[in-house]
Amino acid sequence: MTSNALLMHPATWFILAAVSMPVLKRIHPMLMKLALVLVPALSIFLIYHLPESFGVVNWMGFDLIFGRVDKLTFIFLNVFTIMSLIGGFYSMHVEESGHHTAAFLYVAGSLGVTLCGDYLTLFAFWELMAFASTFLVWYRKRKKSIEAGFRYLLVHTAGGLILLGGIFLRYQNVGVEGLAFEQIARDGVTMADYLIMAGFMLNAAVPPIHAWLPDAYPEATVVGAVFMCAFTTKTAVYVLARAFPGFEILAIMGAVMAIYGVAYAVIENDARRILAYHIVSQVGYMVCGIGIGTAMALNGACAHAYAHILYKALLFMGVGAVLEMTGKSKLNELGGLWRTMPMALIFTVIGGISISGFPLTSGFISKSMIIAGAGEAHHPVLLVMLTLAAVGTFLSVGIKLPYFIWFGKDSGVKGKGAHWNMNVAMFIAAFFCIFLGFGSGTEWLYSMLPFEVNYQPYNSYHLSETFQLLGFTALGFYLMVKKLTPEDHLSLDVDWFYRKGARVFMWVARKPVASVNNWTDNAYRTVGTRLSMALARLFNWFDKAGIDYTIDGSARQVVESGNRLRQVQTGQIQQYIGSAVVAVFVILAAVMLLV
Amino acid sequence: MSKLIGFLRYQSGLLKWLFFLWLVFSIIYDFMAIRHEPHFFGDSIIGFWSAFGLLGCLAMGFICKGIYHLWLMQDEDYYDK
Repeated sequence: MTSNALLMHPATWFILAAVSMPVLKRIHPMLMKLALVLVPALSIFLIYHLPESFGVVNWMGFDLIFGRVDKLTFIFLNVFTIMSLIGGFYSMHVEESGHHTAAFLYVAGSLGVTLCGDYLTLFAFWELMAFASTFLVWYRKRKKSIEAGFRYLLVHTAGGLILLGGIFLRYQNVGVEGLAFEQIARDGVTMADYLIMAGFMLNAAVPPIHAWLPDAYPEATVVGAVFMCAFTTKTAVYVLARAFPGFEILAIMGAVMAIYGVAYAVIENDARRILAYHIVSQVGYMVCGIGIGTAMALNGACAHAYAHILYKALLFMGVGAVLEMTGKSKLNELGGLWRTMPMALIFTVIGGISISGFPLTSGFISKSMIIAGAGEAHHPVLLVMLTLAAVGTFLSVGIKLPYFIWFGKDSGVKGKGAHWNMNVAMFIAAFFCIFLGFGSGTEWLYSMLPFEVNYQPYNSYHLSETFQLLGFTALGFYLMVKKLTPEDHLSLDVDWFYRKGARVFMWVARKPVASVNNWTDNAYRTVGTRLSMALARLFNWFDKAGIDYTIDGSARQVVESGNRLRQVQTGQIQQYIGSAVVAVFVILAAVMLLV
Repeated sequence: MSKLIGFLRYQSGLLKWLFFLWLVFSIIYDFMAIRHEPHFFGDSIIGFWSAFGLLGCLAMGFICKGIYHLWLMQDEDYYDK
């Protein structure tokens, strides 16, 4: 890669900053904090000046493409860099430089995947993301987080291997051209393409391979969860939109995801787990839009990814502020915080009404595009499923979450205002939630979409539909608020299979396998070793007494004379000198006598 | 800020009536909305989304909580046992 291309690639700056974090902190902690916002700000500037293609490197006969920019790339780059700035502000109070290193490497991985033009480069950055983000879970340093981090890493390693398997198969089937990361045609799809799709779907948290998300995100650090909620799943949405638009399986799975996520959010107790399930749900809308594959649905998926990153980060930041200040995130332990943490309440409610799709917020102009796309493509079942998920979203995040944290019964928990940098980050995200919701903000977002937009979100029917849906969902909550009171219990999900499965595996390894191993060990020691010693003695005897004796006994003689010679050598230097003198004397005597 | 929220909480009775008024308004507004070509039967029924929102919300609450209590609910230390 030419040095120019290196400098213009935003991931370079994130990686450089990531590795210099400990040094910067050593020089002055302020420098580290400055880097947290200056590098994202630089990256926002850089992405506006990228050429269509850059950083093409030939490596062992493969063309590695580090930079490919089109409209689809740009909209994701745009929101990722803005999000990294918000995350930078939010994490300024964190003193551990290692945490910032992990976060920046993670962002670099995500930007690298978004910009790359071939599967090999994609895979390298893909793994960087998985590896770096694991540390954002581990840095919480609780036993539960360490365990959740290992599960997260193992699941993502498995997903990465599936993806790699797909890439290799594709290379075998198509050759070098097959490694270009482009749209995959729907006819003639092979096993290789489905493996790649499965690898992508794992990161998009498509059930039944989604459980890593609600397992790991609530266990991550307060700041780590804010980063994680933005990048992994939305990078997966980007790669799915790039390679697999119009695949019907995605449309169906996406709609199922949307309902699955909200269903769990309705019953969950931990605030960050509720939000994690809502990522599954909201990414479901995007996956569904990609699967429908029309221009409007794909535009909707991209617009929704953009809006979602910002409001979901805002929600994670609001709830994270409560966790940071009170040490609690379970709804049954919280309540009545409106007196002490009103700012976090306001910001969380802005995130909540955005995710619910209130008019004048970003969710209204993005989510509706996908639902309208489903309608226009004549998929009424998908339309109804997505609308039902919208009802569940407002029920659980729009109302339940703020109600039980800030109102509900007074828990007596005393919070205090969040750090100033957290409030700045929440303000930026909240600004975008409102700004994108109408007028020039909406136009700005729509102008970045990959296809031309022929959609007007503010029509009277759409408004009427939204007023009714939201109003009557709120009525439903009002009627069954007691029934929805969160309970301090865990809800099973499909991670049961590998969490319990691992225990079975460990039991098999510890009990039957270990005892069989011990038994064979003993048996070998008692029978095998003795048997082989006896055999060795037998062969030895046969060799000496049988073969050597039959031939000429030379081996025995060599051994015997060697033994004798060994005994002659006493190791005493005076005897050697004496022998030498005697030998010299004998030779001299012989010479004199014979000559 | 907390004073304003406290004031609104104090006025919760009034807010409740405003909310019910809003529900009535949203149904009346549906009579006036200009309908696009219907994507499915619900689009042509006035007040359909009101019923959908209320019933969907109640159904989701009852079904999810039901499955939770019958099957999914476990102790917090379930996986450590």
